[in-house]
Order: sequence, then structure tokens, then C-alpha cells
Amino acid sequence: MDTIANDFTINIATANGTGSQSANLILLQSLFDMGVPVSGKNLFPSNISGLPTWYIVRLSDEGYQAPGDRTHIQVLVNKATWVEDLAALEPGSVVVWNMDSKMVMDREDVVSYPVPMTKLARSLSPKLAKLVTNIVYVGVLAELLGITDEALHKAVAGQFKGKASAIELNTTALELGRNYAKENFTKTDPYVVESRAIEQQRFFMEGNEAVALGCIFGGVQLLAWYPITPSSSLAEGIIGWLPRLRTNDEGESTCAVIQAEDELAAAGMILGAGWAGGRGMTATSGPGISLMQEFIGLAYFAEIPSVFWDVNRVGPSTGLPTRTQQSDLSMLYEGSHGDTQHIVIIPGTVEECFEFGWRAFDISERYQTPVFGLSDLDLGMNRWACEGFTYPDAPMDRGKTIREQDVFEAMENFGRYRDLDGDGIPYRTLPGSGMAPILYRGTGHNPDGVYSEKPDDYFALMKRLKDKINGARDHLPAPLLREEAEGDVGVIYYGSMENTIQEIDDILEATGLKVSQCRVRSLPLHSEVEQFIRRHRMTIVLEINRDGQLWGILRRELPNDIVGQVHSVAYSDGMPPRGRIYAEKILETIEEVSQ
Amino acid sequence: MSDKPARAIKLNVINEPKDSYKGGPSSLCPGCGHDQISNVIISAAWENGIKPHRIAKMSGIGCSSKTPAYYLGQSHGFNTVHGRMPSVTTGAYAINKDLLYLGVSGDGDSASIGIGQLIHAIRRNMDMVYIVENNGVYGLTKGQYSATADIGSKKKKGKANETQPIDLCALAINLGCTFVARSFSGSKKQLTSLLKAAMSHKGFALIDVISPCVTFNNNDESMRSYQYVKENEITLHMADYIPHFEPMAEVEVPEGHFTDITLHDGSTIRLETISDSHNPSDSMAALTALHEAEVEKKHVTGLLYFDATKPSLAEDLGLVETPLLDVHDDQLRPSKDVLDTINKEFLNQ
Repeated sequence: MDTIANDFTINIATANGTGSQSANLILLQSLFDMGVPVSGKNLFPSNISGLPTWYIVRLSDEGYQAPGDRTHIQVLVNKATWVEDLAALEPGSVVVWNMDSKMVMDREDVVSYPVPMTKLARSLSPKLAKLVTNIVYVGVLAELLGITDEALHKAVAGQFKGKASAIELNTTALELGRNYAKENFTKTDPYVVESRAIEQQRFFMEGNEAVALGCIFGGVQLLAWYPITPSSSLAEGIIGWLPRLRTNDEGESTCAVIQAEDELAAAGMILGAGWAGGRGMTATSGPGISLMQEFIGLAYFAEIPSVFWDVNRVGPSTGLPTRTQQSDLSMLYEGSHGDTQHIVIIPGTVEECFEFGWRAFDISERYQTPVFGLSDLDLGMNRWACEGFTYPDAPMDRGKTIREQDVFEAMENFGRYRDLDGDGIPYRTLPGSGMAPILYRGTGHNPDGVYSEKPDDYFALMKRLKDKINGARDHLPAPLLREEAEGDVGVIYYGSMENTIQEIDDILEATGLKVSQCRVRSLPLHSEVEQFIRRHRMTIVLEINRDGQLWGILRRELPNDIVGQVHSVAYSDGMPPRGRIYAEKILETIEEVSQ
Repeated sequence: MSDKPARAIKLNVINEPKDSYKGGPSSLCPGCGHDQISNVIISAAWENGIKPHRIAKMSGIGCSSKTPAYYLGQSHGFNTVHGRMPSVTTGAYAINKDLLYLGVSGDGDSASIGIGQLIHAIRRNMDMVYIVENNGVYGLTKGQYSATADIGSKKKKGKANETQPIDLCALAINLGCTFVARSFSGSKKQLTSLLKAAMSHKGFALIDVISPCVTFNNNDESMRSYQYVKENEITLHMADYIPHFEPMAEVEVPEGHFTDITLHDGSTIRLETISDSHNPSDSMAALTALHEAEVEKKHVTGLLYFDATKPSLAEDLGLVETPLLDVHDDQLRPSKDVLDTINKEFLNQ
């Protein structure tokens, strides 16, 4: 029988809260340590215990990180989804199933490996049987696929850092599973794991953790937040790093952390911090941003630096709280009532999560305006291979903030909102300084910050704000381009779609279609984006949402002569993007447009 | 010879004239109690010898929240959004804990839309003075009841209020607020001393100041208000006409006594200064006094509750001694070596 090495997908169906997550991470880490390009997707419910959870592990020598089109190996532990999971399998799939579950495994067109997982687990620890069951299936998979003990042991040690009893229990459970498979099964399926030489040392990292570390290196001084999935681990990541990175020997910190009473208060607090001259940030998701709209408008209008991280989940409303989507883009770009326009920076890799983590503060203080970091659940909460973080290439940019009396006195014609440099960015003094005090306000104001309803004042203010944000375009993270010589079809995409684009590209190329790619990394749009569109006959805007939000922004902002060249492919079902679905939709759209 | 000595300008302990604490002209209705409170703020800050630029004036939205423009012109301020001044103040405090945060709010701001933020600022024992200019009515939107309106209060039009009012002082005491006082906008002497004490307090200091609305707070005896205006020969034909009243005369009520005050609309309120035998560290006694006052339809004023022992937000945040604002960028961003070490640790884990 021919073997299939490092090119298959394992789907593990368990119940939430049974400890399967740590078992699955051991599986993922051990594959990673063998040099196998691998990705893990945790499809978890909005629940603490009992609801179904799936963990999808994809091995791909091509480096594809999206969940594949189908499951090749199904691990069945959860009774609740047993029948459904089983029915969904293609003939020839592999099923590793728990014989003790009293469920029927009646598919005869699959390769069946029945394992008495519960009995094995009980034999080791009656008390912890539920937990141990999960490790047992990892042991079985290790034997069937050829995962080395060395890799497994390293992963266990990493997972249970220094906890000797947990390491021992898990190692023994792995042994039990491996031995059971060795003694009872003759391998009849083609799937195997092969070690690969590791050319570039990398480690696993979640996007939220990377943003957290980036914020610490960005000099965050106030984290004000309200817990919400899937952003909580971003805030908790910062809290976790503070004792080591931002605390002196006396245990005193240079970053305040306040868990606010709600998202409105969290937003208010970071505005207070920005107003006082500090670097404040919050981490939230779409529902939190909805609640923060009022303050977002105030920050824009009163020109107060503030950093908001939105880890996008599925909306509208409470939506699918534990699923991923790119649907907050237009809300961020035009947040709050009235005419507004905000800077949004959109990382697509964990390395960029770190970089944009610190950069957000520089941009926000430079332009004296709220800055949004847009991540999503897929990027934020799943583990991605990371090459390491690059130290900031410039000192912190504190913007046009006047901190010294002599500098202030040398200035002519100072006014808090007066455009002295012609770039729309005014100078500011800080509370407590005694320099040019004003009463900040969300009401109309003149260049001196004094209340004004005069038509000329309002019009000039709104124009300056627009010019200011427009002026930021080419100073924000530029789009990343991969262009084909043909210049026929271009694809614009952003954020976590980065992890699926290679697979989409390969599927399209297999049909003979070569597409160029442009990954947008910020709003307002960099001028490069328009140039990219001009260089192509047609451009597809690829998004994980229903309405094509970036496409909408492009249609409104592009010059009329090229608007017709830009087409939307937007799709979202809550799942992380799967390459084939998007590739097919791109092909359909090209065909439709070409008719 | 004109040897008339120049009139000496009175200076405070830091050699500042009172003018250093003044602000712009008020745009509130003439005679508004809020303006009297603004004057008290000016006096208290001056008398306490606080450097005017070291005060941060905070407010929300409403008539009261406009007043920071009318005092302390040398201080930065922030007229935030409706009911959300506490959160903005909390964030500013985290960055610069050395400023004196002076919040002014109204009853709509504090007892309705912003009651959550007020509660949580109290809960954190946020280090600030929080003045509620309480008139039981929404002034800027022309006369709707607020959540502190007394039962039986009557608008110019429509039915009397039958909804239970919120007593912000009782609420604050129950929440463990560390400085709770009530006063009256016309009680300049009492309010000044309360405010001076509040400015010196480490923790959250709430002063609920009854400040009747000259324009919209026409209660049960509102007919007398019309009568009052008529007697003063002022026509009421224009719907947006605002009668010009003189500010309330100053009122001082000796401790343990009460007095009836006639308001602009002709109605009366009874103010009782809490007895000097009241122990402000006894929260139960304070609540009892508030309850008895409510039953007897009067307002008890003075320092109701005080606790200097409770740690304030500063202790809870565990920050370095230097205000974060003044911490150098080098201390905010860890070094490249640190990041290199972290990268190595991740690779070897």
C-alpha cells in the first residue's frame, strides 16, 4: 500500500471541559517538533463544560494552514456528535473510536481502530479517567502514524512545565495508548508522519499572545479591559508579562491594569489615559466595539490618542461567539455617529501581531486619533508557527506633544487645534503642565479649543480632520504584493486570510489561472492599492464576511474609472476559511464577470 | 500728595491671588445655583493653596457639566460624554496620579445614565472629588424628571413624579464610599469647608449639592412660581423665556438645627445640618439620619460619612512612585536583549 505522508487532516471530536485541549496541543506540538508543517484549529463552543468541541490538525508539507477540505482521520470520543461526525466521513477515512462509549460504529467503508479508551484510562487513574482518555487517543495516534516518543515527551514536558506528577501520568497514558495499538492493530491505512529537516527554527504562538507582547514593547501604560471572547487572552497575555517585563524590584509596575465594569468604561479609561499623556489600550471584540462607539467619536473629535484591539468574532449581535470572521472592518473604519474615519491596522501573521502591537501606539500618538488593531479569533486564539519577534526599529514616537516650557514658549500662534505644520496634526500640551490649558470637549470647537458653533469653525475642523487621516495613508503598514507577470487577475485580501491564500493560489493555479496578490494591512488604504488594481484587468476582494466590507470601502474610495474592475468574493460560515471554497468562488466570480 | 497705598491683593499660601482660580463667564440661567457652586470651587481651591494647573477639571454632560469652563481657567479639563466622566478620570489618574481630580456632575449624569460608572469609581475608591449638582431635573433638554426628583415633584406640564428617587448619599454609603457629604448651593460656608476637606481626602469624596433649577424645577407648589413671577411683573408669553433671578441668599444652618429655604419658584425646602454629635465614621448612623430626613421631608446636610483607612485606587494599581506620565520611554520599552532572550526561550521550550 502506498503511504500518504504529512498530507492529511485529523479531526478530534470531544466534549468541552474534559481536558482534551491539553492532549490536542501535545499532539500538535510533537508533530511540530518533528519538523512537520502543521496547524491546529480549535473549534470550541461558548460554554464551560459539556458542549461539543472539535480540534482539527492539518499536516501539510505544502505548508497549508487552513483546515483541509475533508477529514482523513476521525477520532470519536464525544457521543453527542458521534452520529453526525461519522456520517460526514468519506469512504476510506480512518476512525479511531472509543469502544467504551456504548455508541455504534457501523460504517464498513472506513478503516476502523476501536480502542477501549475509558477502560485503559480507568486502569491508570479511576479519578482522572476523563482527562486520561484524551491522552490515550494521542498515544494510539502516535503509534498508528509514527510520532516519535522523543517528540511526545518533549511536548508533554513543555505542556506541564515542571509538574512531575502530571508529566508522569501523561507519559504513562501515552504509553498505554501506544501499546494497545501496537498489540491490537495491523495498520491498514495509508497515513503516516515523516520527520522533516528543520531549516528555520520556529515556535508556536497565538496571535493574542503576540499582540500582548508587542503592546508591552510599545510601552503600554494603561490596559483597561472587559472580558470577552476571543480577546480575553490578549489582555491576560499583557497581565502575564508585566511582572517580568515592566515591574521593578519593589514589585511596582509601569503599567496600570484595570478590569473595567463594561466596555464603555474601558474605552473611557483609555481616553483618560491618552488625554493625560499616556499610552492606553483596550482589547475587545465586536460587541465591545459596538458599546465603545460614543467614546470612539469623542477620541476622533477631541483628538485623543487611544488604542483599541478588536479580535473579531462572528456577528451580528452575540453571533457565534467562538467562531471567526472579518466583519468588524467597516464598523472600525467609520466608528461612531457623525462623519468619522479611523486608522485600522490589520496583521496577518503572528510576527505582525507583535509589530502592530507596539506600532499602534506610535501611530495613535503621531496622529492624535484612535487606532484600531484588527485581529480575529482564528489568528488570535489558534497557534501559528512563528519565526521570532523583531525589535522595534525606531524609538517610541510620542508625536507632537509639548512637554517642555521653553519649547512651548518658542512656539508662535499655538492653539490646541491649530494646524501649524500644514499636515492637519496640531500640537498638544498636557494636563498638569500649566501650558495653554483648555477644556477638552466633544462639542464643536475653534482652533483654540473654545466652544464654537460657527459654520466656518466647524467646516474647517472637519476638513482638517479628514486631511489629517488622509495624510496617514502612506505612513501606515503598506500592502504586501506578490505579482504575476500576466497582470490579469489580482486578489486583494487581509488579515488571517494570509494563512489560506497559498492554498487558494495553488488550487487556482492548478486550473491554469495565475493571480497576483495584495494583502492590505491598513486603512485608510495605501496609495499602492489603487496602483495594484490599475495594473490588473480585474481584481477580486476576498473576505471572510457576507457583504464584502473592504470591497465596499474600495468602491467608495477608488476613482470612478476603475471601480468597475473590482469584484467581491465574500463568504463566511463561521469556520476558519477553507481554501477550496474560496478558490471555487473566485472562479465562479471571474466567470460571471466575464460573461 | 496722593499717597493712597495700592489696595493689597490678597494672596493664598502659595502667593496666588484668587483671580488665578477664576474661569470664564457663565452661560447658565442667571441665578442658577450651579454658579454659586462654581464660586465655592474657586474659593476652596484658592484657600487650600492648590496650584491651579495641578487640578484636572472633569465633567460629563448637562448644565452642571458645562461649569468647568467657569472656574479654574488655568487648569486643563475634560468635558467628556454623558455619565462617563468617572471612567475618563480613572484612566487619567492611572497616568498622572499627582493631579487633583475635581469632577462635577449632575443628577442625570450621576443617578441615571452614569450611575454604573459612579458606582464603580466609588468601589475602586478612585482618588477624586465628585460633586453632584443635584436639581432633580434635566435642564438642557428642558425639564424632564431625573432619577433624584422627589415623589410629588411636578413639571410645568404633565403629571407629578411618582417614581422613587435615588438618594446618592445613601447609595454611596452603602457602597463603602470613603467621604460622603450633602450640602446646598446657597450654603456657601458649609459647602466651602466640605469641599476643602474633600480636596484633601485620599479616596473618593462625594458631595451631593442640592442646587435647585431656577427654570425647570417647579414642584408641587409650582403655581406659586407663576405667582412669584407675576408678582415680579415678568411676562411669560415666550416659551423659551428664562426669568432672571438673583442667586439664592446665603444660608447657614447651625449644627443640629434646621431652617426652611424659599426657592425661586416659591416652594420651600427644609435643610437640617447634621448634629455635631453625629459620628461620621458610623455608617449606620449616617443612613439613619438620611432615612429620618426623608420621612420628615427635609434634607440633612453636612459630612455624613468618612473613612480614611480604606486603600485608594493608587494602592490597588501598584504603580511606581513616579507618575507614569513622567516615566522615561526607556523604562516603558524593554531592551533588545530582553526580546532576544524571550525569542530564545520560545524556541527552546
